[in-house]
Amino acid sequence: MKNSIKIFSIVIFVIFTIFVAGCLQSKQTPVVSEPINLVKMSGQEMIQKLGTGEISGFIMWEPYPAIAVTKGLGKDLILSGKIWKDHPCCVVAYDQDWYKATNNSDEILKRMALVQLRSVEYINNAKQSDSNDHNELINFTMQFGGMTDPAAANLSLADVEFVYNTNIPDTTTFIRKIQDFGIFVPEKWNQSGYKNASDYANSLVTNKYVDWAINNKDANSSIISLKEPVTVRYGYLINDIHELPFYVGWQKGYYRDVGINISIAEGAPFQNGAFEMQKGFKSNTIDIGSLGIPPVIIHRINSNDFSNDDTRVGVIAGMNNEGSIIVVANNITSLKELSGKTVGFPGPGTIQHVLFLMAADKEGLKVSV
Amino acid sequence: MKVGEKKKELLINLLSLVGFVLLWQAILILTREGIFSIPFIRLRDIPTPVETWNALLGSMFTHTYGPSLTYGIYNHVFASLERVIEGGIIAFIIGVPVGIGVGYSKLIGNIFNPLIEIVRNMPPMAWIPIAIFIFVSGGSIFIVFIGVVFPIILNTIQGVRSTDERLLDAAKTLGASESMIVTKVVIPSAFPSIMTGLRIGLGVGWMAIVAAEMVIRSPVGLGYFIWNMGDLGRYAEMIAGMIVIGVIGYMMNISILLLQRRFIKWAD
Repeated sequence: MKNSIKIFSIVIFVIFTIFVAGCLQSKQTPVVSEPINLVKMSGQEMIQKLGTGEISGFIMWEPYPAIAVTKGLGKDLILSGKIWKDHPCCVVAYDQDWYKATNNSDEILKRMALVQLRSVEYINNAKQSDSNDHNELINFTMQFGGMTDPAAANLSLADVEFVYNTNIPDTTTFIRKIQDFGIFVPEKWNQSGYKNASDYANSLVTNKYVDWAINNKDANSSIISLKEPVTVRYGYLINDIHELPFYVGWQKGYYRDVGINISIAEGAPFQNGAFEMQKGFKSNTIDIGSLGIPPVIIHRINSNDFSNDDTRVGVIAGMNNEGSIIVVANNITSLKELSGKTVGFPGPGTIQHVLFLMAADKEGLKVSV
Repeated sequence: MKVGEKKKELLINLLSLVGFVLLWQAILILTREGIFSIPFIRLRDIPTPVETWNALLGSMFTHTYGPSLTYGIYNHVFASLERVIEGGIIAFIIGVPVGIGVGYSKLIGNIFNPLIEIVRNMPPMAWIPIAIFIFVSGGSIFIVFIGVVFPIILNTIQGVRSTDERLLDAAKTLGASESMIVTKVVIPSAFPSIMTGLRIGLGVGWMAIVAAEMVIRSPVGLGYFIWNMGDLGRYAEMIAGMIVIGVIGYMMNISILLLQRRFIKWAD
C-alpha cells in the first residue's frame, strides 16, 4: 500500500514538472503564428491608446490617422491604396422601404447623385492649395472631422480620393473577399437567392442615377430642382472625412438648391457602418445615408429578414476611394511586428476590417477579431 | 428529502427546460409563418433553438478563414473566468479582513461603515467609465472586484456579529487572548457566512464582467464576443454566447454551494 502511494506521488510529481516546464517553455518561445489582435474602439480611443502604448497601432478612416501622425503619436505604415489600389470605400445608399413608399424616389435619388457629383467636383478643385476655396474646404474638413489643426486637415484630405461613380466590378471583388473571410451567415446567403458575387453586386449597385447626374451636371438648379421640396432623413458616420462630400453639399446648400432638405437621422452620426445598417436602415430611421460598402454588403445578407427585406439598401453613388490607413507606434516597421499585439479598428465587418485582413493575407499573417 | 421526491423534482426541472425550448421553437415557427407577431419586436430576427445550437457548436472552438482567426467561445469563457477569479481573489483578500474588523470592533466599524454604505450602493457598471480612464490594463478585473467585495464584506460582518456569545464567553473564561478568540472562534463561526458572501459576490462579478467586457475592450471575453457577433449580424452566435454566460454563472453558484456543504460541516 505504502509503495503504491509512493509510486502514485512520483507519477503526479513528474506530470506536474512536465506541465510547469511546458508552461515556462511556451512563455519563453515566441509563437511565430501568433495572430494580430484587432480590438474594436472609437477613433478617439485609438489616438489616446496609441499615445499611452496600450495598442501598437490602428486602422481607421481619416482624419484619425492624420491626427495621430501630426501629434507625433505614430506613423503611417500602410495606406489602404497600397493594399488595394483605388478600392471603393464609402458609398451613398438608400433604404428600399423608403424607396417604395415615396412617390418620386427616383427623382430624389437622381438629385442626390447630382449633389454628390457637385460636392466632389468642389472638393477636388478646392483641395489645390492655390484654389480660392481652399481655406473654406479646410474649415469644412476641420468641422466635420472634429479637428483643430489645419495641418491634420490637409494631411487627411491628401489621403482620400473623392469620387461619385459607382463601381460594380470592385463591389463584386469585395463580396468575394467577404465570402472568403467567412463573414456571411451561410443560411442567410442561401436565403438571399443570389447566384454569385457578381449577381449580388448587380442587384446592389445602380448606375442610372450617376449617369443622369453626369448628363445634368451643368443644368441650372432652378430648372432641375424638385417642384415640391422634400425632406430626407440622412445617416452618416462620425467624423469620417470620407463622407466630406455630404457635409459640403449640406453646408453649401447644394441639396437645398435641388429641392432636398436634409434632416439628420435619429442616432446619427453612427460609430460604424454595422450600427448604421442595423439601427438606421433596418429600423427605417434612415432614408438615405453614407457608409462603407462592406457593412452594406454584409448586413443586406446577415441582418436581413428576407420575408420583408427590411435591411435591403441600394447603392446609388460612390463617396470615396482609398483613405484608410494602418498607423503604428513609431518603433514598429512592418505588419509582421504586430503579431501578438493589439491593434484598434472600428469594428467587425467594416471596410477597415476587410482591408486589414487583405493586408495580413498578403503577408501570410493571422488576424483575430 | 426522499430519493423518489428528488427524482420527481429533477424530472420537473428537466421538463420545464424542454418545455421552454419547445415554446421558443413554436413561437418562432408561428412568427415565420406569419401567424404570430408582437408589435415593436422583430421576433423574426430571433434565431430558433436549433439555429442557436448549431451556432454554439460552430463557434465553440477557434477557427480560421484565410487570414481571419475567430477565437472560440471556449477561449472567451476562460478569459472571462480568469478575470472573475482574479477579481474575486483580490476581493476575498481585502473583503474578509475588513469585514472581520468592522464586525468585531466598534471603532473600526465606525470608521469604515459610512464609506462602505456609500460605495456599496454604486453598482459595478457605474465604475466602468472611470475604470477605462484610470486603468492602463486590468479595468475589467477592477469591475469584478467592486462587484464581489461588498457582498463578502457585508456577509463577513454579519457572520462575525452572529458568533455565539456562549462560545466567546467560554473562550474568554479559558483565558484565550483577543487574537486567539478571533482566529479560533470568530473566523470559524463566520466562515459559512463568508462563503455565502463569496457565492453572491461571484454571481454579481460574473454579471459585471460581461458588461465590463462590452465596454473595456480586449481581444477575448464573452462580453466582447457577443458585441462582435452583433456587429456582424450573427444573432444566433449572440444568443449562444448569452446562454453560455447563464450556464457558467449557474455552475459557479452550484460549485460553491457544493464546496460549502462538503467542507464546512459545522455550517448546519
